Amino acid sequence: MSAPNDDNASAHSQLSSHFFAGLLDSIIVDVASECHRIARLGLDRNLEEEEEELRLSTQARVMVADPSNSGEANSKYVVDIFGQTHPAIANEIFDCMNCGRAIMAGRFAPHLEKCMGKGRKARLKTTRSSTAAQNRYSRSSSVSAYSPYSNSHSVNQAVNGTPGVTGEDYTECTFEET
Amino acid sequence: MSGRNPTYTNPEPCKHLADYKLKYGFSGYNSLQKSLNTNPNGRTAMNRSQSNIPRCSFCSAHQGRLYFCLICSSVSCCLVPDSNHALLHSQTEIGHEIAVDMERAELFCCVCCDQVYDPDFDKAVMFKKILEMPRNNNGAEVCKEKCNKRRKVIPKSLKDYMNVNDLVLKMGREPNSCFPWGLRGLSNLGNTCFMNSVLQALLHAPPLRNYFLTDRHRCRTSRKSLLDKPCLRCDINDIFSAVYSGVPSPFSPARFLYSWWRHSPNLASYEQQDAHEFFISMLDQIHEKEEQTRSPLKDNSDCQCIAHMVFSGVLRSDVTCTTCGFTSTTYDPCVDIPLDLDPSDHFSKNVTGKSTNPSEEEDISTLGGCLDLFTRPEKLDSDLKLYCQQCQVRRDFVKQMSIRRLPLVLCFHIKRFEHSPIRKMSKKIDRFLQFPFTFDMTPYLSSSIVRNRFENRIFAFEGDESDISTEFEVFAVVTHSGKLESGHYVTYLRLRNQWYKCDDAWITQVSDRVVRASQGYLIYYVQKMP
Repeated sequence: MSAPNDDNASAHSQLSSHFFAGLLDSIIVDVASECHRIARLGLDRNLEEEEEELRLSTQARVMVADPSNSGEANSKYVVDIFGQTHPAIANEIFDCMNCGRAIMAGRFAPHLEKCMGKGRKARLKTTRSSTAAQNRYSRSSSVSAYSPYSNSHSVNQAVNGTPGVTGEDYTECTFEET
Repeated sequence: MSGRNPTYTNPEPCKHLADYKLKYGFSGYNSLQKSLNTNPNGRTAMNRSQSNIPRCSFCSAHQGRLYFCLICSSVSCCLVPDSNHALLHSQTEIGHEIAVDMERAELFCCVCCDQVYDPDFDKAVMFKKILEMPRNNNGAEVCKEKCNKRRKVIPKSLKDYMNVNDLVLKMGREPNSCFPWGLRGLSNLGNTCFMNSVLQALLHAPPLRNYFLTDRHRCRTSRKSLLDKPCLRCDINDIFSAVYSGVPSPFSPARFLYSWWRHSPNLASYEQQDAHEFFISMLDQIHEKEEQTRSPLKDNSDCQCIAHMVFSGVLRSDVTCTTCGFTSTTYDPCVDIPLDLDPSDHFSKNVTGKSTNPSEEEDISTLGGCLDLFTRPEKLDSDLKLYCQQCQVRRDFVKQMSIRRLPLVLCFHIKRFEHSPIRKMSKKIDRFLQFPFTFDMTPYLSSSIVRNRFENRIFAFEGDESDISTEFEVFAVVTHSGKLESGHYVTYLRLRNQWYKCDDAWITQVSDRVVRASQGYLIYYVQKMP
């Protein structure tokens, strides 16, 4: 902690501060020069528009969060623009394209999944007696679509001959629940 | 020789620069060329001699901004307010008004005490750079005479799809309510809100809507019997007809679901699915059908099927060696732009003027911020050094994405579902994303990004000229609420400047702010027509 060392130390730190300041200035001018060029050439983004959009967005979030402003009731119970109301589960009835049965719209997807033999649950069901069923239906594979079997079964068999669908699916018709 | 450059304006020269040009023309610029040097980052500076440090002729200062006079080659400093020897030089030597910033290769007017710009100077700088660069020009394809052949022109037929007027005439009847055409609920068939939400967006994508409503789909599939796969495009056509029929009761897209499941057996199951996955699957199906009827094309960017004509754009990826600047460029087609929601994206400002960004204070993500992140130069993992052709060794590389060609309809896919293969879990990112109703894509185009890499010099870069305008307007927002496993998709549609909420069978009118405050997952923008 003698005096000469102190002087050296402060001279060192002064010098290093000096160099650092020089480097920092240089970097600042680099950035300033780039921004200046961008501004002069009109390359900068339309800041006013951006800020306006941002302001509108912030305002929107505040107003939507405020419960007194909420006109957004649970939409399942509202009236739509045409003045209609709808049940939670769609109740239109139409015929299934696969098996021809009348199905309710809101339950169509789960029905179709079983009907077409897709999905995990459907595949699990078939393993129970797939061997026995396959034996029973193996004769029918050479029969045309309009076989003496009941309508729904025949359409299902032929239709399920698409690639990726196994012979197990033939069993679906018999084991399918209503 | 250059194409039009709509992205920037040629700045007006100051009186002194104009006088200099009249008197000296390009001679000063050309003789300066040999003293210019470019580093691998793309920055140009005047050569630094190892033995001779440039010093101000008045005060011998060697720090700060030093300016090299274009007429007499003397060096002066400008350390305002302490010393402005550049100005002094212009006062002592009459007519010596224009100088060059030695560290940045920028023109400086000593009298105006301001940086000035001249396309001819930039051209001279660029020419020197091009001479020095490796064969592939470090990724900058400069405009030559024949650059037009790369330009993609929108086929006239597609331009027609953007024009709504004759469509109304063809339909020939007035809507029987005060609501715009095409508003109709879609019944949920059992966890099918992911499908309904995307269908609503596609039903209102102007070029797609116009295509189907004007009966462009001539079905060439001869279905020999009911057993053949149904034509998916016919089923889509049917949905369009049903939704635009004017009937207000909700429509059940059951036949379409059946059709889609037949075509995409791996996605066929009764469970909640990802709307984006469905979107991609649908475009693939529409495309595939088209490919069967026409000869298959080499790459999707030139595909003439309606799905690709509307949604397909081209992304550019530049991989640059950090040591020598050698850049390798690849182009890939895309039908949407995937964006990460990075909480710190507001820190990734590049110097395109985002100086006082108000979103900084609030720490919210913005669409622009996500795109900045998308196009930000990203240092590739140091452990995986790539082989550089020029250096002939393995080096660190930097990768940068940009948009080479914009599609007519831009779909932003906000990656909210994070799947971590390591931890074998997935989670949903609920972070709010601000998105504007009108948006300019210019800063994210390849021409802008590449130009930025070359100090934004005034030079014709390829990709500047384009038939597609860069202004886009939002028309549909698919939002997701709830958790990853059990959530709900809802679409907001903008028709005639009014927003409608499409929640399965329920169509209601909502205000702008509901949409602005919503959690966007798939955001659809359409190119603004002049």
